[in-house]
Amino acid sequence: MLLQQLVNGIMIGSVYALTAMGATLIYGILRILDIANAAAYAVGAYLGWYIYTLTNNLFLAFFLAMILTGLIGVLVEKYIYLPIISKPNVITIVPLITSVGLFTLTGDLLRLIAGPNVKSLGVKLRIGVLQIGNLRINPEWIFIIILTALLFSILWFILNKTKLGLAWRATASDSEIAQAMGVNINVSMALSYILGYGFAASAGIMVGLLYNSIYPTMGDIPSYKMLAIIVLGGLGNPVGTVLAGLLIGLSETLVAAYIGSIMPRDVIAFLVLIIVLLVKPSGLISKKNA
Amino acid sequence: MKRKLKSLLLVSLALMMAFSMVACNSKPVETNDDPIRIGFFAPITGPAAADGLSTSNSAELAVEIVNGNGGINGRKVEIVKYDDGLDTKQAVNIAQKLTTNDNVVAVVSGSYSGPTRVAAPIFQEAGIPMISGYAIHPEVTQSGDFIFSQSFSGAVQGKAGGVVAVDMLKAKRISIIAVDIDFGKELSESFTQYVEANGAEVVSLDKFAMSDSEFGPVITKLKEEVKPDLIYMANYYGHGAEIVRQVKNMDFDVQILGTEGIDSYQFLEIAGEDAEGVILTTNMDRDSEDESTQTYIKTYTEKYGLIPDMVGASVYDAFQVLFKVIEEVGTEPEDIRDAIKELKNFRTVTGVLIEYAPSREAIKPVQIQIIENGEFHYFDRIEDLDIITPVPK
Repeated sequence: MLLQQLVNGIMIGSVYALTAMGATLIYGILRILDIANAAAYAVGAYLGWYIYTLTNNLFLAFFLAMILTGLIGVLVEKYIYLPIISKPNVITIVPLITSVGLFTLTGDLLRLIAGPNVKSLGVKLRIGVLQIGNLRINPEWIFIIILTALLFSILWFILNKTKLGLAWRATASDSEIAQAMGVNINVSMALSYILGYGFAASAGIMVGLLYNSIYPTMGDIPSYKMLAIIVLGGLGNPVGTVLAGLLIGLSETLVAAYIGSIMPRDVIAFLVLIIVLLVKPSGLISKKNA
Repeated sequence: MKRKLKSLLLVSLALMMAFSMVACNSKPVETNDDPIRIGFFAPITGPAAADGLSTSNSAELAVEIVNGNGGINGRKVEIVKYDDGLDTKQAVNIAQKLTTNDNVVAVVSGSYSGPTRVAAPIFQEAGIPMISGYAIHPEVTQSGDFIFSQSFSGAVQGKAGGVVAVDMLKAKRISIIAVDIDFGKELSESFTQYVEANGAEVVSLDKFAMSDSEFGPVITKLKEEVKPDLIYMANYYGHGAEIVRQVKNMDFDVQILGTEGIDSYQFLEIAGEDAEGVILTTNMDRDSEDESTQTYIKTYTEKYGLIPDMVGASVYDAFQVLFKVIEEVGTEPEDIRDAIKELKNFRTVTGVLIEYAPSREAIKPVQIQIIENGEFHYFDRIEDLDIITPVPK
């Protein structure tokens, strides 16, 4: 049973990591806690569902929804966040409240456009169940774990092996010096939002696939849970976010399996956060320059 | 010049006051031409919006049909509708508006136990009858003699679930998965009581918060360690669908028994073919030969393109009860209340309403449905009065 529970935990953990990755990338550059990332998660899931019902092609639905949501992210950045944060002396809570507003608005817009009913993707994957002894891994899980690994590899490649990524990292560590050295920080910001909202969309579709349900309030829980994960991961650190997602996924699963459902899963996530922060106040992986 | 302007102003002010006083006094006395106004609230937005849509559709349909037939004693019916967003604070505001502003003769709640429970005392205080469609918490009707419930209580349904598990399906080792709110608590307590008194054992109880959606760990535990022969699900369709999906994913051979919480087109939609063979206790029998049931199912499906469910049907029935008694006794709230109390053997979409118990909860048969070919179908029915009559606590 332990092995099966570990697989359960890793699977949930990868989804958590993916969900929180978008907000991590945005915080890394703009220092905005972007709650609206959870709205991108729901919007992405709806776009994915819509494209899937039109084309019946899961991969197309997946990537097209990611790209479209990423582009929406750039618009949100350019026309909403940038004008706000470029005002002199703006306090950090203003963009945060803006993002909460965007998030709430999106949930109701989705309900008005698509209706309150749960939409089901109804995807039947053709690959079979992977059975090793007592251990069972379902096709949806295999799909999710492979896709998560793939997306993280692409992200790692972009951030570490391309000029764009170098500029992003330079901006993340000190935007003023990066700008002085000739980095176009507007491009870095736009990259943050394309990737940030694209990742949120991919998480939304995966969760929609996993639970076969897409509904207007699906971003509610991620909207606060991703905070636990990004803080635990060291605020703005992509590798830390992956580790934090896995740690929280595993803790929740093992507590539910061996101790019982004594408290809601979300409580466990925040308990893990508090315990880790007591020992290591900067999160699992802190920024080198912090 | 200045003085002239001043006097002009005074005159116009006086005129305005006079007009507004006339307006205040001209509140019309209710005549036979005025519509009969019935209040209604449901969670049209928020996490229960799908149920809100079902109930709100059904309320509109009930009113449309009665008006299409010429109204009640020649008077049209008008619905005063509010959205509580599944928020208790909002429900209190709505109840206050309905009792002070809206001139309603009675109210139907299309909401869950939480909002209905806080609204009920306000209607009781104002002396306006309220019928709750499907809220199962006993405190709803305990608010007073103006408050009725169209559905059986959680205690009755839990007991009926026990009958299905032990007497019909012969289960010996039972695991319970319940949602950790009033709904799950009421159902699982009375279920456990019956099961344990009748020779079976509850081998595990797992409670989940409404916000939880991951059941992999608990299903793994049940399959590999607890090994029950039946899982009783005291929860709503979201949790229910995920549980049956996980059970099938893990290739776990176990009978699943649900409640009215999964009696929703949403359950069928999300669970898909994994829902096959799931049995549930509810109040609507889709295979009933009763004309009103079949008409409701047919007109609802045609009008809204959705499969009707128990929350909608229960609200529809609450309106039928009001139409029936208003037709007989008129629109005085006390008369409506007394007539509801006296109602006996009234055919509704959700079976024959035998009568209201002294606790003002409807006594009616519990329907046992099974999911076959993606639809709800007849499995059995419990009519034993010992089971379906609520026991005062």
